[in-house]
Formats: sequence, structure tokens, C-alpha cells
Amino acid sequence: MASLISYLKFEEESKRKKLWKTGYELRDPNSRSETSWRSESEQRIYSTKLVDALRLVRRNPSTADKVSSFREIREAADRVLAVAAKGRTRWSRAILASQLRLRLANNMKHKRAKVTGCSRPKRLEKKRFSPTLQRKAGLLSRLVPGCRKVSFPNLLEEATDYIAALEMQVRAMTALTELVTGPPVDRLGSTSNS
Amino acid sequence: MEPNPGTLAGSISIRSDQEEAGFESLQFREEIQRLIAVPPENASSFTALLELPATQAMELLHSPHSEDGDPAPLSADSLHGISDDHKSYISSFNGNLAFPSNKALVERAAKFSVFASGENSPETSLVPSNSSANLEKVKSEPAETDSNPNSSQPLISDPTVESKTQRSAKRKEREKKGKGCTKKSKNETSKDAQKLPYVHVRARRGQATDSHSLAERARREKINARMKLLQELVPGCSKISGTALVLDEIINHVQSLQRQVEFLSMRLAAVNPGVDYNLEGLFATESGSLVESNFPSMVAPLVCPEIPFNGNRQHYQQQWHFDALQQPLWGREEASHTFINPENSLLSYDSANSASLHSNQLKMEL
Repeated sequence: MASLISYLKFEEESKRKKLWKTGYELRDPNSRSETSWRSESEQRIYSTKLVDALRLVRRNPSTADKVSSFREIREAADRVLAVAAKGRTRWSRAILASQLRLRLANNMKHKRAKVTGCSRPKRLEKKRFSPTLQRKAGLLSRLVPGCRKVSFPNLLEEATDYIAALEMQVRAMTALTELVTGPPVDRLGSTSNS
Repeated sequence: MEPNPGTLAGSISIRSDQEEAGFESLQFREEIQRLIAVPPENASSFTALLELPATQAMELLHSPHSEDGDPAPLSADSLHGISDDHKSYISSFNGNLAFPSNKALVERAAKFSVFASGENSPETSLVPSNSSANLEKVKSEPAETDSNPNSSQPLISDPTVESKTQRSAKRKEREKKGKGCTKKSKNETSKDAQKLPYVHVRARRGQATDSHSLAERARREKINARMKLLQELVPGCSKISGTALVLDEIINHVQSLQRQVEFLSMRLAAVNPGVDYNLEGLFATESGSLVESNFPSMVAPLVCPEIPFNGNRQHYQQQWHFDALQQPLWGREEASHTFINPENSLLSYDSANSASLHSNQLKMEL
């Protein structure tokens, strides 16, 4: 799994470098985030993976109390979402890396290199942001996992993909809970545009 | 026919070895001879600017000229030698190369040869006429060059953003390249970038051509394009103008989505021990597509509860079934009071409902 992450990161970096040169970096995330997270196939992939992961998560209730099982499920859902992203985005790699880091920290003392904190200071910030904008950008970067030191346009791109992915996750999980517990009256899917 | 080796020279040698008496082999041989002859002259002017190896560049240039039987092997061969980042462009070139684009290539070569190290090349003879013509054409043809990328590059999927991004991307690259050239060059390149795999920047009319402002403008346009995407994604953001408010909305949206995920995962965690995922997979296929695509679907129609966690307990108490799996769970969790109510209610409800999902058990309940 560690090699997977590093491989994915390498692939993404190299692809980004090539795209950066030719300037088509903007085009790929547009077509990707808008359409791919909305597609039925992506949702189906995610749901099946989620069900599989949840099946694994099910543990003997005697060992785990509510909180940890809740966290397990949350982490499983995030992990499956990150896997569904195919490692093309920074936040997905950050999710996988953070979970993996926790597991590895339990097993061995080996401190992994920072997979996600690689900023791209290609050139200085010519555009002077106002302090409020800076603050909001910092807020956003804290919300999106793994985007602490990312430049502003990349942050926006990551946020775009992240929002689309989150919407799909909410849709899928709502559908799952509906299937399991029956249709809820308080519809959570008010933000999802289906 | 024959396997495609990695390099063009390799393929040619294989062909010559196999001694194909086909028309194409003859054509290839003479083309390769031409290639070997030509590149030393043009290497630094035209092909260097193309950032391709000289052989493949001349391949590109000559491929529409050569009317051999199938240009497919030619393009395949040339594709192999080219690195990946040019491959997509080359494929689009080979698909779309027609006579007008060839002329554009030659014209561009002529223009660049002026600004490059300026040596003797076949294109320099074309330079004076072409550059003067282009100087007139620069200002009057911004629209054409913007429409050209739309037509000539089928890779681009988003035409509304594409011209802007092309311009901004062009600007960035041109700004990089333009530092070595004179200031005049930035204003003069007209039909430059849509065919090249290396995008160039063009300064628009009436705007400063300072390299700093060009870079900053490119950056700003990139940021604005992404903000526009985000605005489309987040509902209710299209009306808002101003970066700060839009960012606020975006942050709120992300927070609400994350909260929803937490909420749903909590519910799933509560339900989790009572769920049989194997059987659910069977029902997911038949009803999952309905449920996922259409939220108010009535998949499990029989019991429609409200699910605030507190109120369900007495409501479903009578439906509590003795389930061997869940009974010890319930007994054990009498101790912890905080989650006991929702757990019980959900479990009881779930047992009732999961039975209701199975149609045969339903009859047993009733």
C-alpha cells in the first residue's frame, strides 16, 4: 500500500509536470471532476466497494464500542472514496496516507516521508491577497485533507474534486442507509443535484 | 504487418531488411533520406522550436505530402519515437493535418526563424513576405486563432473554458519563451500555438506586454476559471459575486457535506451489526439503482419511520423481535446509556425492516 501511494504520487507528479509545461493542467480536472463523480458507473463502483469495506469493518460488538465503530465506518467510507479517486488528486492520497500512517505507526516505528506536503512554489505570489482571502483560503485548505501548503489555484482545483467526490459519497451512503434502514423522512440529500 | 519498433530508424532498417517491394517502402526510404539530409539545416530554427526531435518533426511536416497508401503506419511509427507528453498532440496533428495547417506550420517556422538564432535555412526566404503579412494579420485575427484551437484539437472537452485557458496557458509559456526574444515578438505571433505541442502566450491588444503582468494575468485567469467551476458546483454560488463570499459559500458547503458524511456514517455504524451485507448485495442490484438515482423511492415501503434517535423507542417496541444475534448486544449495552436508545430503536427497527426486505420472512411476521 505504501508503494501504491508513492507510485500514484509519482505518476501524478510526472503527469502534472508535463501538463504544466503545456499548460493543459486546467483542462483535465474540469472534465474529470464534473462528469466522473456524477456518473452512474462511478457511483456503482463506490457503492460496491463501500459495501465490501463495511462488511470487513463489521466486527464483534463486544470488542468495539460505538465510537470506534463509528470512526471505523467513517474511515472506511473515506478510504473507499479515496481509492475510487484513483489517486489522481492530492486529497485522496492524503486520506490514504494518513490512515496508513496511523496503522504503520502501530506496527513499526518507521516514519514515512511526507507524501502530501509537497508544495509547488513555481513562482512567487504576484497577486497580493487580502488578509481575509488569505484566512478563507487557509480555512479551505484545512477542510480539504492534505492541502495545507498548496497554492491557491491548485487548492481550488482540489476543492472542486473534493466537493464532487463528497457529494457522491453522501448520495451513496444515503442510498445505503435507506436500503438498510428504510427511507428516512428527513432527507439529507438536499444539496445533491441528481 | 511488421511489428512497430521503438524508433523510426529501427523501423526503416527492418523494412529495408525485409525488402518489401511495396510502394510504401520506397516512399519511406526516400523520405528517410530526405530526413537525414534536411535536419542539419533546420535543426536549430524550426524543429528546435517545435521541441521535437528533428526526424519526427519533419515526419509531421511531410506526412501529408507523402500520399502513400496508408498514413497509419507512418503516424504509428512517428508516435513511438515521441515522448508521451507530445503524443496526444501528435495524434491530433496526424488526424487533422491538412493543407492549411501545413501552410501555418511553414509560416510559423518562417516567423520563428526570424527570432531564433537567424541562420540560413530554407524558411528564411519566406520570412520577409510572411512576416509583413503576419504583422497585418495579427490584430485582425484573434478570433480565428481562438476558434482554431477549438476545431483542431479534439482533445479539449470544455470549449467555454478552453479558449481562456489556452490564452492563459499560451501566455505563460510565451512569457517564458519571450524573455529571450525581443519585445516585438510578443505582439507579433498570431497563429502560433494551436498546432504546436508547446503553447505560447500572446499579448492581447491594448494590454501591457510586461512579462510580469503577463504572468500575473495568466495566473489570475487560471484562478478565475477555477473559481467559476467551483461556483457552478456549489449550489447558490452563481449569483454571488466577489471572491470572499464565494469562498465562504464553498467552505460552508464542504463543511455541511462533511457533516452529512459523519451523520450517515454514524447511522451506518449504529445499524451495522444488524445488517446482512450478503443479502443486501442481492437487493442492492435490483433496488440500488433505483434508490441511488431517485431518492424518494419507496424501496422498503412497509415501515416508514421518522428517525430522530430518541423518539423511536416506544414506537417500535412492539416490533422487537427476538434475534439471537442482537439479544446479547442489547443486554450488554444496557450499561451505556448514551447510545442505548438509538441503538435499540435502530436495531429493532432494523430487524423489523430487514425482515421486511425479505419477502418470505415478511409473511412470517404478519
